[in-house]
Amino acid sequence: MEVEALPNGNSATAAAPPSAALLEAAAAGTAPSSKLNQLTESLKLEHQFLRVPFEHYKKTIRANHRAVEKEMSAVISCVSDAADRDLSRDDAVQHLNSLVSRLQGLKRKLEEGSRSECLQAQRCKARLDHLESADTENLTEWNSTRLKRILVDYMLRMSYYGTAVKLAESSNIQDLVDLDVFHEAKKVIDALQNREVAPALGWCAENKSRLKKSKSKFEFQLRLQEFIELVRAENNMRAITYARKYLAPWGSTHMKELQHVMATLAFRSNTECTTYKALFEPKQWDYLMDQFKQEFCKLYGMTLEPLLNIYLQAGLSALKTPYPLCWLLKKWPRKTMAKSLARGQVWSVSTRTWSRRISRKSKCSRLI
Amino acid sequence: MELNSIKDAFDRVTKKQKLSSSKSQEVIERICLEIEQALSRIELTSQLDQKSILAELKMKLKEISPLGQLEGTQKELNIALSKYPKLLEKSFSPDISKAHRNIDFDVHTVNHIIAGHFYREGLFDLGDCFVDEAGEPEAADKKSPFLEMYHILEAMRSLDLEPALTWAGVNHEKLEQNGSDIELKLHRLQFMEILQKSGRDEALKYARTFLAPFASKHMAEIQKLMACLLWAGRLDSSPYFELLSPTHWDKLSEVLARQFCNLIGQSYESPLSVTIAAGVQGLPTLLKLMSVMTGKKQEWQSMKQLPVPVDLDREFQFHSIFVCPVSRDQASDENPPMLLSCGHVLCKQSITKLSKNNSTRPFKCPYCPFEVQVAQCRQLYF
Repeated sequence: MEVEALPNGNSATAAAPPSAALLEAAAAGTAPSSKLNQLTESLKLEHQFLRVPFEHYKKTIRANHRAVEKEMSAVISCVSDAADRDLSRDDAVQHLNSLVSRLQGLKRKLEEGSRSECLQAQRCKARLDHLESADTENLTEWNSTRLKRILVDYMLRMSYYGTAVKLAESSNIQDLVDLDVFHEAKKVIDALQNREVAPALGWCAENKSRLKKSKSKFEFQLRLQEFIELVRAENNMRAITYARKYLAPWGSTHMKELQHVMATLAFRSNTECTTYKALFEPKQWDYLMDQFKQEFCKLYGMTLEPLLNIYLQAGLSALKTPYPLCWLLKKWPRKTMAKSLARGQVWSVSTRTWSRRISRKSKCSRLI
Repeated sequence: MELNSIKDAFDRVTKKQKLSSSKSQEVIERICLEIEQALSRIELTSQLDQKSILAELKMKLKEISPLGQLEGTQKELNIALSKYPKLLEKSFSPDISKAHRNIDFDVHTVNHIIAGHFYREGLFDLGDCFVDEAGEPEAADKKSPFLEMYHILEAMRSLDLEPALTWAGVNHEKLEQNGSDIELKLHRLQFMEILQKSGRDEALKYARTFLAPFASKHMAEIQKLMACLLWAGRLDSSPYFELLSPTHWDKLSEVLARQFCNLIGQSYESPLSVTIAAGVQGLPTLLKLMSVMTGKKQEWQSMKQLPVPVDLDREFQFHSIFVCPVSRDQASDENPPMLLSCGHVLCKQSITKLSKNNSTRPFKCPYCPFEVQVAQCRQLYF
């Protein structure tokens, strides 16, 4: 076992198997030698913090640009249309006038768009500044802000929007959390909760190219659900047309699921056959909601798990050393929490490595 | 952390974005201008000239080729846009969930902990809002004790000791059991306040009723306070001026909060913030471990113990660990540390082995020439 092979001190490292040496190196890398080093390491965990507003910014830029391109080419084709046609003088004047007002509208839109771009650029900037402001002196305050950020992230992901907004506002960290990004998600999630797929489909269309790149089948799943709902309503003819139009294009990649769902036409919603009964269950909607959250997080470069869960798990693993645990269980609520939190087993620090390290120090030491 | 290069990259993005949007603005204006010119020309010319003017406009617009003009700046913007996230990925840990194992936390427990955290921090509105939204009405149980605590602390901030004294009076026995002298300290503070504000007689009266019961244990302290009576009115020039320092209030508030938490069976610091802070410190090690162990994902998921120690700062070490120097096992409830009569400490199992499981048979301590008997060994509690 690898643990057994761990070198008992630096002198033995050369002779140790390479993997064990690497493990030791990994451990030594974060020895609490210097506070500054530790701070740097912890800042490296903040990828999502910078990435999410940037993705949002990028999205706005792209959308604005697309709108400009579209409108511009529309105007140009209108002009060439007019040139090819035989227009009366009044018609021509009117036509050109309408084009001018259209362009003015576009100009306004562009200004508006660049305002929101600037706002988002500022947000990205604010986060960079916040990261830079972390210092060994203001660490307590910075850490408490971090905890608040993590909590807001958790609440947004769990759809506790009211508390999220309240917490962000009361601690004045609106620029450091992704309220508006999740606002977009809220609409889709709320709709899914009400058994509506239209907003979710709209979201898919908006992010089509990126979803395609990540080979997402979320849209297909939405279509399947819509099909199922038609079957549930015994609207078979419409279900078939729907399938022809929206499901068939996915046939090349997801034939099995497509066949599976088509069979519900034969089984209907009151079926007792478990394979098909499952498709009609209301749980499917919850599943779609989860699926959406996952896709959404992926798109924005967020972790799939809430940050809170990641840090909690790591924290419990690091804190949970075997002996103090059983002792503290009686005394400290923190540890009761550790016990109840993890249904399964969270890691504990290897007893063996610990004992090696400590025994080297405590050997022969007289206690009294 | 070196953020300058990242900042530069981001500045590049904003610069290109501004360039691109001003370019679009310019192009739109240009087209607008051309069309308006054509318009005025149509209006000026009387005859059926509009066709040729429109054709001319079409040619001109083609010449401008607005989309082509935008392409250049757009391309530069796109390069900047794709470079920045790559830089982020390089300088940060792109996926901190790599070291996350799929162990589902119980949502209710997590929510309870969060609600408790808000109440503990005195953010009662926020806590109520959260409890409401998350649908965890039971979590509000934690509110009332902290509400009381913040009530006391709030009163102390406005120099009112009454609630604190009432609390100390009610919990007199428990505080005494804990060996806390907070009650005396509160009375002392109150005594000084009275002495300053209402004069000697009132202070003496207060001392008779409230300080006298502490005489048996804290005589010296009370003597000092009595001496203060002599300096009434000019305490700041007395040898006891230190007792007037406002820091006493702050310090006592903290001590009170600690004692209060202790009595309601809670730790002083929020368990949530401690655990998260520990997680932040431990996670880099776990991530490094993950990158070393890539390709052994299966092994990782089934591992019961971490193969490396995760070093945490002293503030996260709540208890010392004893490791038996003979067996090298960590002491546990079943195998507790035992003090030999010579002063060396071994774990119980090692002692059983050394004595061949015979409690009267003496054996030699492995670390000194002493002969010891199991019956004389005593268990140690850390």
